[in-house]
Amino acid sequence: MAMPNAHYQEFTQPVGKSVPRIDGRGLVTGQTKYTFDLAFPNMLVGKMLRSPHPHARILSIDTSKAEKLPGVKAIITAQDTHQIRFGSNEYFFPHTSDQMALELDKVRYVGDEIGAVAAVDEQTAEMALKLIDVKYEILPAVFDVLEAIKPGAPQIHENIRNNIALILPVNFGNVEKALKESDYVHEDQFFTHSAAHCCLEPHVCIGQWEDCSDKITLWVSTQAPFKIREALAKCLKKELNAVRVIKLPTGGGFGGKLEMLPMDFAACLLSKKAGGLPVKICYSREEEFSFSRRKHAMHYKLKSGVKKDGTLMAISGEIFADGGAYCSYGPTVLAAAMMRIFMVYKIQHFRITGYRVYTNTPISGAIRGFGGVQSGFSIESHMDLLARGIGMDPVEFRLKNITTANMVTTNKMILSTNGLRECIEKATQESNWKGKWSKQKHLSRGIGIGIAADVMGSKMYKAHESAGSIIKIEDDGSVYLFTGAADTGQGSNTVLSQIAAQELGVSYNRIRCTSADTEITPFDTGSFASRVTFISGNATLLAARDAKNQILNIVAEEYKMDPENLSLEAEKVINKKDNSVIITFDKALQLCYSFKYGRQIIGRGSYNPKTTPVDFRTGEGNVSGSYGFEAQIAEVEVNKETGEVKLLKIWDAHDIGKAINPQSVKGQIEGSITMGIGFTFTEDLKLKDGRVVNPNFANYRIPRSVEIPPIESILIETNDPQGPFGAKGMGEAALLPTSAAIANAIDDAIGVRIKDLPITPEKILRALREKEKTEIKDKKEREL
Amino acid sequence: MTTLIINDKEYHLPLQGHETLLEVLRDQLGLTGTKTACQDAECGSCTVLINKKAVLSCLTLACAVAGEEITTIEGLAQGDQLHPLQQAFLDHGAVQCGFCTPGMILAAKALLDKNPKPTEEEIRQALDGNLCRCGGYLKIFDAVKQAGENLAKTKG
Repeated sequence: MAMPNAHYQEFTQPVGKSVPRIDGRGLVTGQTKYTFDLAFPNMLVGKMLRSPHPHARILSIDTSKAEKLPGVKAIITAQDTHQIRFGSNEYFFPHTSDQMALELDKVRYVGDEIGAVAAVDEQTAEMALKLIDVKYEILPAVFDVLEAIKPGAPQIHENIRNNIALILPVNFGNVEKALKESDYVHEDQFFTHSAAHCCLEPHVCIGQWEDCSDKITLWVSTQAPFKIREALAKCLKKELNAVRVIKLPTGGGFGGKLEMLPMDFAACLLSKKAGGLPVKICYSREEEFSFSRRKHAMHYKLKSGVKKDGTLMAISGEIFADGGAYCSYGPTVLAAAMMRIFMVYKIQHFRITGYRVYTNTPISGAIRGFGGVQSGFSIESHMDLLARGIGMDPVEFRLKNITTANMVTTNKMILSTNGLRECIEKATQESNWKGKWSKQKHLSRGIGIGIAADVMGSKMYKAHESAGSIIKIEDDGSVYLFTGAADTGQGSNTVLSQIAAQELGVSYNRIRCTSADTEITPFDTGSFASRVTFISGNATLLAARDAKNQILNIVAEEYKMDPENLSLEAEKVINKKDNSVIITFDKALQLCYSFKYGRQIIGRGSYNPKTTPVDFRTGEGNVSGSYGFEAQIAEVEVNKETGEVKLLKIWDAHDIGKAINPQSVKGQIEGSITMGIGFTFTEDLKLKDGRVVNPNFANYRIPRSVEIPPIESILIETNDPQGPFGAKGMGEAALLPTSAAIANAIDDAIGVRIKDLPITPEKILRALREKEKTEIKDKKEREL
Repeated sequence: MTTLIINDKEYHLPLQGHETLLEVLRDQLGLTGTKTACQDAECGSCTVLINKKAVLSCLTLACAVAGEEITTIEGLAQGDQLHPLQQAFLDHGAVQCGFCTPGMILAAKALLDKNPKPTEEEIRQALDGNLCRCGGYLKIFDAVKQAGENLAKTKG
């Protein structure tokens, strides 16, 4: 008989422990195969045919010369497609399905896809693109949001007047009255710029359409395989079961790999035309920057009022979001930008209208934080200015106005657990806020705070937001977890495996995790909105519980006991009455699969969070089953001669419910802050006449090793009763307050306020000069 | 025929001369552990070691390093025994998506081979050319420090 596996004595209670990544050995040895690394025999190389114009009518496309080029195997244009429009927010905003996989009669941005070729190699494919003769009628284009909404501006989409794809009004209470009753009213404008995801693994896919069996398979680097399947099936006019999407290990997502891109569609259709040969399409870094998705640049106009005692009376204003050529996830980005404010501040009088505007620029979509980064900067800077306006410590101001546990917000969000107060208190304590704030000006040093909240999922393209998990356990005690959740590097396979092992009462080392394959793993909406630990984690918990109960029932039957009295803990079935060991896990499984019982152990779990639908005409609804909270403090030193800002340290306190894997949680916090630092200072996706002018890492600067300040993460565990083992989702929230915390710290250090990102030395110097001028003028006026 | 010595193994390849080392490793030899995120010498993901020095394989012509000692990520583990750097990356949670990891580990190895007890500042400088978008730098610094200490111990 086999000896008990010593390996299985390890990590028998893995929740709360920093167990090693389940996929770690493959990643550190280079053995993991990403889609980027995958190759099949006779695989063709696909390339997209793109518009060189920001706005033009397509008059004709002649592919005849390209077709004759030796090595070219397939060419497709809109004529080969069903010309169906797809979008990413169909469920709530059906009219925003506005993009065709290959555009038919018009192009709306530089890079708009109008065709694709497949050839034996990259050079041939590129040569073929050059041989395709496209005749355009160039149309006037518009690149600026405020220009685009003016009457008479070029109309980018038929039937969309003033290029306003979406207006979201959020309106509660009586703002006018509340502003009148305020002791101090402050108006501000903030500008946030566009940014890129910069996943190190670019968008890449391999499509294969075996025409005889009519089987369509897409191997892809993605955050949302089921979403891609849905859009592919729609555009190909196929049943969902005709399309199989296989997600391989993915080199980063950050919101950029949440939807089908025309390349995914093209790879499949090219394969069909090429007789079923697999077609790989891989974006170059330039394509990645220029033609994938980007962050909405946003313009905030805010007017808010407070009482002298710091009571926040009203927030009002407008948000204009540069949507680019198509809607993508724009509606939910805009909605999330506004809704987040209610999670953080108790506010009864609120009126913000959001406009998502089309321009002839690359498509804006989802990016880590979903509008929360733009709002994080604007609202948290604005709040600081309100506090300053009444001479109040910004921390005190926030403590006075924040949401609490067990409350329903004005827009009907249900906040059950809420660690925001504790987050602020811990962060201020650890950073010695009281000893530093407004006390280090002589050193040009300052400290600033930003706070934020995050959802654990939000319904974006389905009526439900569910996840499913399946756990099968075989006769040797091997545990297989099947999840549709997409690990893109954040470590969800590890966390879900920890949850499964903990609930089953077995070693984490037993778990094998498969994620994700639309033909094999249960449905999951994808990795977005910090939802996976919470929603997919709950599904996994339920699947493990189901499997465990199946085992315990058989043991109970065999030992003539009540299954209610049995539990599975640390690899053993225990009699709960006297804590005696009935049988080991291995033996229990042998029993399940014995001659006498012969029962397969297959557990299933399905979880849909308790939410209420959001009414997008008012902004009312409980979008998430749980909410996470966050306070962040930055300390800076500014060089007044050069305008350079040195980040001395960042403190981050985060209500994550319960840390399933503390090391992973801290990795997410540090990663978010790193991205936030990049967005604040150096990352700036620059456009000229609708064209990205810095599509490379040399000119689009993401943070490097030498630029990262010390980061202290403080984990606040509020044990959410809805969460698996009390856990909430996380992974985005720590990015939301970073820019504002830094801008607020700069103001504390040198008394200037930067309201348009990114913060550059030039802007700091300019602001210092203006401040000096104003001070001289004020002095003169006083002397007169 | 060009002879490349990769991870102590000899490969005789009919190269034309224009192929980069990156292309040969990935496309001809299937050594896909070496990544690239830019193909333009900006990301560090394609870092390999040539005679123990970190170089960018996207910038290196394969025939220019014929006969030299080339190490890729596939050459670090001994059987199923991970290299101390690989183990330290796992232990410290220094891996998220993993796409930068091979380049990071090799750049770190080049540092530790020269300087087994680097300061954090020296680690930061040595990894300055390697981008990590998941933002795991702080954990990477810890891992490199730990690996240096572990290597020193094993060498006695």
